Parts: sequence; C-alpha cells; structure tokens
Amino acid sequence: MSTLVIKDLRASVETKEGRKQILNGVNLTIESGKTHAIMGPNGSGKSTLAYTLAGHPKYQVDGGEALLDGENILEMTPDERAKAGLFLAMQYPVEVPGVSMTNFLRTAVTSVQGKAPSIRTWTKELGESMKRLRMDPKFAQRSVNEGFSGGEKKRAEVLQLELLKPKFAILDETDSGLDVDALRIVSEGVNRAKENTGLGIMMVTHYTRILKYIKPDVVHVFAHGQVVETGGPELADVLEEEGYDKYLPEGSTESALA
Amino acid sequence: MSDADSQNASEKTIHEVTMPVADPKDPYAMPALMPSSADRALRSFEWKDYAEPTRKQEDFRYTPVERLNEFFAPFEPSGSCEVSVEAIDGSELPDTVTVEAVEKGTAPMGTVGKPADIIEAVEWASVDSALVIRLHGVTETPVLVSVVGNDAESLDALHIVIEADAGARGDVVISHTGSARLDEVVEIVTGRDSDISVTSIQDWKDGSKHVGGHRLSIGENATLRHSVVTLGGDVVRLRFDQDFQGPQGKSDMLGIYFVKSDQHIEHRTMVVHNQRECTSRVIYKGALSGAGAHSTWVGNALIQPQAPGTDSYELNRNLLLTRGAIADSEPNLEIENGEIVGAGHASSVGRFDDEQLFYLESRGVSEADARRLVVHGFFRELVEQIGIPQISDTLMAALDARLSGDAAAIDAADEALTDHTFQAASDEAQSTEE
Repeated sequence: MSTLVIKDLRASVETKEGRKQILNGVNLTIESGKTHAIMGPNGSGKSTLAYTLAGHPKYQVDGGEALLDGENILEMTPDERAKAGLFLAMQYPVEVPGVSMTNFLRTAVTSVQGKAPSIRTWTKELGESMKRLRMDPKFAQRSVNEGFSGGEKKRAEVLQLELLKPKFAILDETDSGLDVDALRIVSEGVNRAKENTGLGIMMVTHYTRILKYIKPDVVHVFAHGQVVETGGPELADVLEEEGYDKYLPEGSTESALA
Repeated sequence: MSDADSQNASEKTIHEVTMPVADPKDPYAMPALMPSSADRALRSFEWKDYAEPTRKQEDFRYTPVERLNEFFAPFEPSGSCEVSVEAIDGSELPDTVTVEAVEKGTAPMGTVGKPADIIEAVEWASVDSALVIRLHGVTETPVLVSVVGNDAESLDALHIVIEADAGARGDVVISHTGSARLDEVVEIVTGRDSDISVTSIQDWKDGSKHVGGHRLSIGENATLRHSVVTLGGDVVRLRFDQDFQGPQGKSDMLGIYFVKSDQHIEHRTMVVHNQRECTSRVIYKGALSGAGAHSTWVGNALIQPQAPGTDSYELNRNLLLTRGAIADSEPNLEIENGEIVGAGHASSVGRFDDEQLFYLESRGVSEADARRLVVHGFFRELVEQIGIPQISDTLMAALDARLSGDAAAIDAADEALTDHTFQAASDEAQSTEE
C-alpha cells in the first residue's frame, strides 16, 4: 500500500509578463488502488499540477511538498521520480526522431527496474501488451511518437504505463483526441494496469466522458490553482449538468475566459 | 486636361515591355536577366588566377584563412600519406574494380570540372599524378580507399579519380585517418544508368588539416549517393561541386559532422542543375561540443535555364551540445528556370529540445542517457542512409563515444575506424544496443 500526499503545493511559471503563480496551495491524498478525478475549467492549473509533480523544468515549485510514501518527490529529478514510482501520461506525447520505441521502452524499463529484463520475458511482455492495445507490431520499430496519430500516441502512453508499473499514474487529458473505440481501448489498458499492480490514479480531465470507462472513487473540482470541492462519483454528474461556472470568478463564464 | 488627353499622352510615352526569351539550346546566348553569382564564379586550373583568400571574399567568409594559408601556393608534396585500395572486408578486389596511377595530363584526371577555388588549383599545381579507380559491372563488396597520414607537419597533396562505367553498381569508401596536412581533390564521374555511392570519412588525429574538394558529374539516369563524415582534424574544409551529364540523374549528398573544441569543420556543397528532370537532395547534420567548436555548411543550388523539371532540396541541422560552439549554416538557391518540380531548403541551429529530454526523463531515463538517445536518434537515420552496413555501427559508435565525452571510448571507436575492424566494432555496438 502506497500513499501520495500533496501538501500546500504552490508553483509558478515564467511568462512574458513576469512570473505567474498557478498552483495556490494544493492539498490532496491518493492511496494505492484509488482513482481520483481532478476536474476543472480551462486555465485552472490542472495540467500544471500534473507537470509539476512529474518535474517539468518549466514550473518552479514555490512551496509545499509531495510525499510518495514519505519521500518528497519535489526534491528529485524527473527520472528519480519515475524510479520512485510516478508516471505521467501526457496530453501531447513528445516525438523523439530516430529513437525506436523498442530501444526507448527497454531503456526506460531497465532504468526504472534497476536491471535489464531478460530478453525472453521482455519480448513476450511487450508483444502481449501491444496486442491488447491493438497496436501494430511495426510500432516497436518506429521512432518514439513520430508520425503517430493522436490515438496511437495515447495507446503508446498506456503501453508505457503497463510496462513501467508505477505506484501512481497521472493521466493528463488522456481522453482528448480519442474516438469512442480508441477511448475504450485506452481505458481498458488503464483499468488492466490498475488491476494488475494496484496503482493509484490521478486523472486530470475537463470532460466527464472518460469517467464512464475509468470509474473514479473520488472527484475533485480544481479552480484557480486549488482543490475547491471534493465528493464522490456523483459530483461528476453535477458538473456534467451545471458546468464549471459557479467555480469561476463572479460574472465570468468559462467561454469568456477561454 | 481631360481624361481623353491624358490617355493620349501616356500612349505616346509608354510602350509595351517585351521580355526576352532564352533559346533553350543556347540559354546564355542572351544575357541572363539576373545573372547568378554561381554562373560567374571563377573556375580555373591556374592557381594564380585566384586572389589570395581573405574573409572578405564570399567563399571564405566563415573560414579562418590564417589557419590554412599554407595551402595558398603550390608546394612539393611530402608523400607522407599512404594510400591503399582493397575490399572493405579485407578480401582481394574483384575483377569489376581496376586501380591504376596516371600522370597529370592523362584522362580521366582533370576531366571532371575545373578547380573551384585556390585550394583546388594549388592541389592541381602540386600533384603530378592521380590514383584512378574504375568500376565496371556490379561490385558487391564496397571498395575501401584507405588514406593514412603519417605526419601532421609536412604538406601533402593527393588526387583520386573514381570513374564508373555505364550501368555500373558499387560503393567506394575513402577513409582518412592518422595525422596529415593534406590538400586532396577527388574527381567522381559516373556513366549512364549507373548506381554508385562514394563515402568520404575524415577521422584525423588532432593537429591535422585537410582541405580540397570533390568534383562530381552524374551520368544520364544515374544515381550517385555522395556521403561525407567528418569526425576529426583541427581544420577540415572541403567543397563538393556537382553537376549532371544528362537528364534524369539523381544526386544525394549526405553529410555528418561532430565538432569539438577549437576545431573548424567546413563543408560547402554546390549542386548545379544543368540538365532536365534531375533530382538532388542535400542533407547535412552536425553536432558541436565545446568552446570554440566551429562548423560551417554552405549549401548552394543553382538551377539553370536548360534544366526544367528539376527537383532539388537541401537541409542542414546543427545541434549545439554546449555553450561556446558556433555553427554557421547558409543555404543559397539560385533558380533560373520557372518550370521546376521543387526547390526547397531548410536550415537550423539549435540546442537540445527540453521537451524531448523531459519526456525521456519522465520515463526514468537519466539526463545523460536521454541526451545520448536524442543525439543517437539525430544521426542514426542519416548513418543508415549512407547505405554501407559494414560501417554504420562503427560510425554510430564513434558518434556515441564523442557525445559521452569519454576519451577512452572515443579512442576505441576511432581505432576501429582506423584499423577498419568494422565487423568487430559492429558486434560490440549490437551488444550495447541490447
């Protein structure tokens, strides 16, 4: 059983207009086997929370901590966080030309697990995972994310989730750009990973669509860089009905902010 | 003045402009409307026709001329560079390859274009013979021309001619290793329907200088893949001037360079489309590491009036691995014909992509390994396109070693290149890949 405790996390980003505070004291606790949905309007800082936890150099931590089983991951480099058991499935996975998926995946699994998996089990596991995600075996030979469609990139993210077996996975807008079939395949992959390893999930999403496939235990509403409301799965239904307007500053609507 | 009056007035003063039309059989009979600079560039065997290079001259803008001014006047070649020719796997040359020395004045020496700058003209004035390698029919195993330098102090000059018959197929690798101060010209002429590759590797030891160039002429409907890999030498400045003898020729010019502190590595490609429906692709990629590392790529493409249906593209990418390195990148296109398929260029100088590094690191890959992967990826595709499997892994290992900065690894990789133990290095590279 693992726990991820986020305490009073504050973070900022450098913009043309100067440093801008985005996270204003986030408090959140996620345990193994639980799925938390972080829902909020555009610009509320949900993705910043995801990238700050993963250690993206663009975001500066100004205070607070994120304890993974007592260890403050905010003091670690991104690769150390991955080794500690954190995984970020990105909304826009990055293309790395000339680096084959198979070489990349094996390098990643080797560093996360601390030793190279034996060739036989590795080939078998990779093949089976790809098959379950309905990925063409040719993908393994292609460059990381290069020329992948939106759906292919998301499948490749879930493939990594299955192979790296993290303790906690952050899914950033994983449903964006997916058609219904791809959404189902990707969601099945996430659910399978959770079943196999008991990972905890922090699912960042704007829409409720993905929640039909990946059932949340807890729903948080995120606005102006904070968790402003927490409830059960029924909270998502309320958001679906009413939108985020009541969490926005007086007199503005989300469309006006966008 | 009424409207009618003004109309009359303008009719008196303005007469219709007629654009002169070039005769495709003799395009330069009429003065070009915008004569290109490349058309007017001096080409001469006489070194005295050229002015002493200064940085004020376009061709030497990026060149530290003071570091190679010993090549600006003819000299007695020291003969310190040894040249040998064999099959790349060490076996005997097949019957499809003949090697001979010819004296200056004997064809094919001096038949492919003319010297394009003072350095090539000085080479012509200094040498008295050439090594001629002829390819007939199909040669399966690449031919290795090994140039080994034994002295970085004395000046040497070499002239090599590679001539491929009509329909010939084969690959030639010219490997430069050791220590030298060399002015070398390679003439490459290919017959119609031939499919030839020539790869020139410069892996000189520190203290070496290598100048000169290649002059290439591609036969009708022939394919020539010309690759350049420059990994070592204090100053390397090479130019590659290429044209076509007939329609539908295909030219690929590939280049890879890795530049370290205080090295000046300069490649200048000049593709002349002088025949119809020919295709050219120029792709040069380099990485620079360390203060004072300086690379120059100047890619010239000239599409002449008699070359409709031309398809040309040139690309140069530079990866600055550290601060203090400078990459000059200059594509020049001169298009004198509107009836072409394409003429494009792209050029960039950049640092590591932070997003790429973060993506890899967020998967547990250390920063050092992430950098290694990205640079490996940057070069891998191009190394494979060179199309000589016998050297791919050795080259990749040499590039990876340079990126790691590990002196022992660089020495080991260079030794494999010098000794041509390509196969052994290949096994090693595969085991690390696993």
